[in-house]
Amino acid sequence: MNITILYGTETGNAEMLAEDIAGELEAEHEVSVANLSDFDPAGFDQGRFYLMVCSTYGDGELPGSAQPFAKAMEASDAKLAGVHFAVFGLGDSEYDETFNGGSKRLAELMLTHGAVQIGERVIHDASGSDLAEDLAFPWASEMVSLASERLEEAV
Amino acid sequence: MSRSVAIIGTGPAGCYLAQALLKAEPELAVDLIDRLPVPYGLVRYGVAPDHQGTKAVTRQFERLFERQGARFFGNVTVDAPLLAVLREAYDAVVLAAGLSSDRRLGIPGEDLDGVIRAGELTRALYDHPDAARLPKLGRRVVLMGNGNVAIDLLRLLAKTPEELAGSDLGPEASEWLARSPVEEITIVGRSPAAAARFDAVMVKELAKLSGVTVNVVDPGTSDEPEGMKKIDALASLAATQGGPKRIAFRFSLTPVAVEGERGHVAAVRFRDGAGAERIVPCDTFLTAIGFEAGADALRRDRLLGEAFDPEAGILAQGLYAAGWFRRGPRGTIPENRTDAQGLAARILADFGNMPQAGSKAGRAVFAGRPAIVTYAGWQCIDAAECAAAQPNRCRRKIASRAEMLQLAVRIEEPQA
Repeated sequence: MNITILYGTETGNAEMLAEDIAGELEAEHEVSVANLSDFDPAGFDQGRFYLMVCSTYGDGELPGSAQPFAKAMEASDAKLAGVHFAVFGLGDSEYDETFNGGSKRLAELMLTHGAVQIGERVIHDASGSDLAEDLAFPWASEMVSLASERLEEAV
Repeated sequence: MSRSVAIIGTGPAGCYLAQALLKAEPELAVDLIDRLPVPYGLVRYGVAPDHQGTKAVTRQFERLFERQGARFFGNVTVDAPLLAVLREAYDAVVLAAGLSSDRRLGIPGEDLDGVIRAGELTRALYDHPDAARLPKLGRRVVLMGNGNVAIDLLRLLAKTPEELAGSDLGPEASEWLARSPVEEITIVGRSPAAAARFDAVMVKELAKLSGVTVNVVDPGTSDEPEGMKKIDALASLAATQGGPKRIAFRFSLTPVAVEGERGHVAAVRFRDGAGAERIVPCDTFLTAIGFEAGADALRRDRLLGEAFDPEAGILAQGLYAAGWFRRGPRGTIPENRTDAQGLAARILADFGNMPQAGSKAGRAVFAGRPAIVTYAGWQCIDAAECAAAQPNRCRRKIASRAEMLQLAVRIEEPQA
C-alpha cells in the first residue's frame, strides 16, 4: 500500500515518532513522511492512506507545524471524500483539561471535509508509563490492515 | 574530510542545534561540550521534577549520541582561553551555554536574610551539583515574578506530598517541602494579568491542587485574545478552594524596597499602577524574575556587543550563539528548536561559502584532558540514578559531582 505519514509537531517528538513508524512500515509498504507545515490540502490522494501523528500544544491547540495546514483546511472547500486517514495523538495528562486537543482538532478538520477516518484516535500520554512507539507501532499496523481492506473495496 | 562543529552547552538549544545540523548533513562531526558531567542542561535542571512529560524531549537528544554520531564531552568548562583553542580546532563553535545567574531586582534590602532567588532554589531542589543548601522558609511567602519558573515554584510549594508522586524530586527536597512551614503565598507580577509571562496552561494546571485556596486579585480584562487567555486561566482557579494553603495572585505591582527587621525580611514595599504604595508583610521573599550571565567566563556581553549579526546569532567568523545565551532568558523548549533550525541553516550556508581550510584538529584537542565524561559515562550515571529511584519517584538524581565522576570517568568510548 502507498502510505503517507503526516506529522504536526512543536518539540520534535511527533516528528521522531512519525519517522519511527515509517521505519516499521517500510519493509512492506511504500511510505513517505511529511511535516504538515509542508503539506498542501489539495495534495490528498484517494489512492494513498494517511497516518497522521499530532501533538498538542499550549492550551489544547494544534502544534506550530500543523497550524498552517489547519488554516489552509479552514479556508478550503476541498472535498476529501474517499481519502482515508487515521490519527495518533501525543499529549500530556499533567494538563488534563486540554489533554490531546491537537489530534482531536486535526481529526475534526479531516472529517469536516468528508475524509474517512479509520479506527479510533489513539493517544499517548507523555506523563504515563508507556513509550509512544509501544502504542504507535501496533496502532499503525492495525490501521494499515484495516485501511487495505477499505482501499481494496474502493478500487 | 567532513566539517566539524563544537557546541558548548547541552541543553535544548545545543541539542536541537546538533539535531538540525546532523539531519541536514549526517557526515558532520558534531561535539557537544558541557561543564557538568551530565547532559541536557535545563531539561534536567530547569524543567520541574513533576513535569516528566516535558522532559521526554531527551529521547530525541539521546539519538544524537546513540545513532547520529554526535559526541558528548562532559565535565569540561570552557573559558575564554579554551574557547580560543576550540575555534582553532573546529570549523564552527557555537555558544549555547545558557544563562545561569539570577537577575537581581536592584532595590534596597534585597540582600536581607529571607530573600531567596529562584535559580538558587531550583538548583537546590533539583539536585544540581553546584547548589547551595536548601534555604529556610517562613510562613508567609511573597513570590515576585509571573514567568513559568515562578509558577513552577508556586506549584511545588503548594503541592501535597502525594501530588509529587511520579516525579524525580529527591528525598531531601521532598522532605523539605513536606515539612515546609508555608501557609500563605502571594505571587506578584509587575505587569497586569493580561501581559503576564506565564503560559495559560501552567496556571490552569494549578486548578488540580488539592491543598490550596486561591484568590486572584483584580485580574482586569483585555482586548487581546492572548491576554484574555491568561485572564481566563486565572478565572479557572475560582473553584480551587478549601485547602489550608492560601495563594493570592496580585498584579501591576512594582517592587520598591524590601523592608527588614533585625536583618531579616519583614515586608515588601510595592507601588501600584496608580502610584500608591502597597506593603505586603512576609518572612520569605522569593524572586523569580529571570536570569543573566553572571560570572561569565565566556565574556558574553563583549561577544554579543562585537557580534557581526547578533539577531542571527553570528558572533564572528566561525563563532555562533544559540538559545538563551543569544537571545536572553525568554522562550521555552520549542522556541529553541525553531531557533536551532534557523542557525543550523546559516552555519551550513557559511560552510558552503568558506573554502575548507585544511584539516582541523577537531575533537583531538580533548585527548589527554583528565576526567572527561563521555556519553557512555553518562549512561552509567543515568542507569545508576534510575536504579536508585525510591517509591513514587522515577529517578534519584546524583547531586555530587565527585560521585558522578566516580561512576562515569572510567568508561572509555571506543574510538571511531
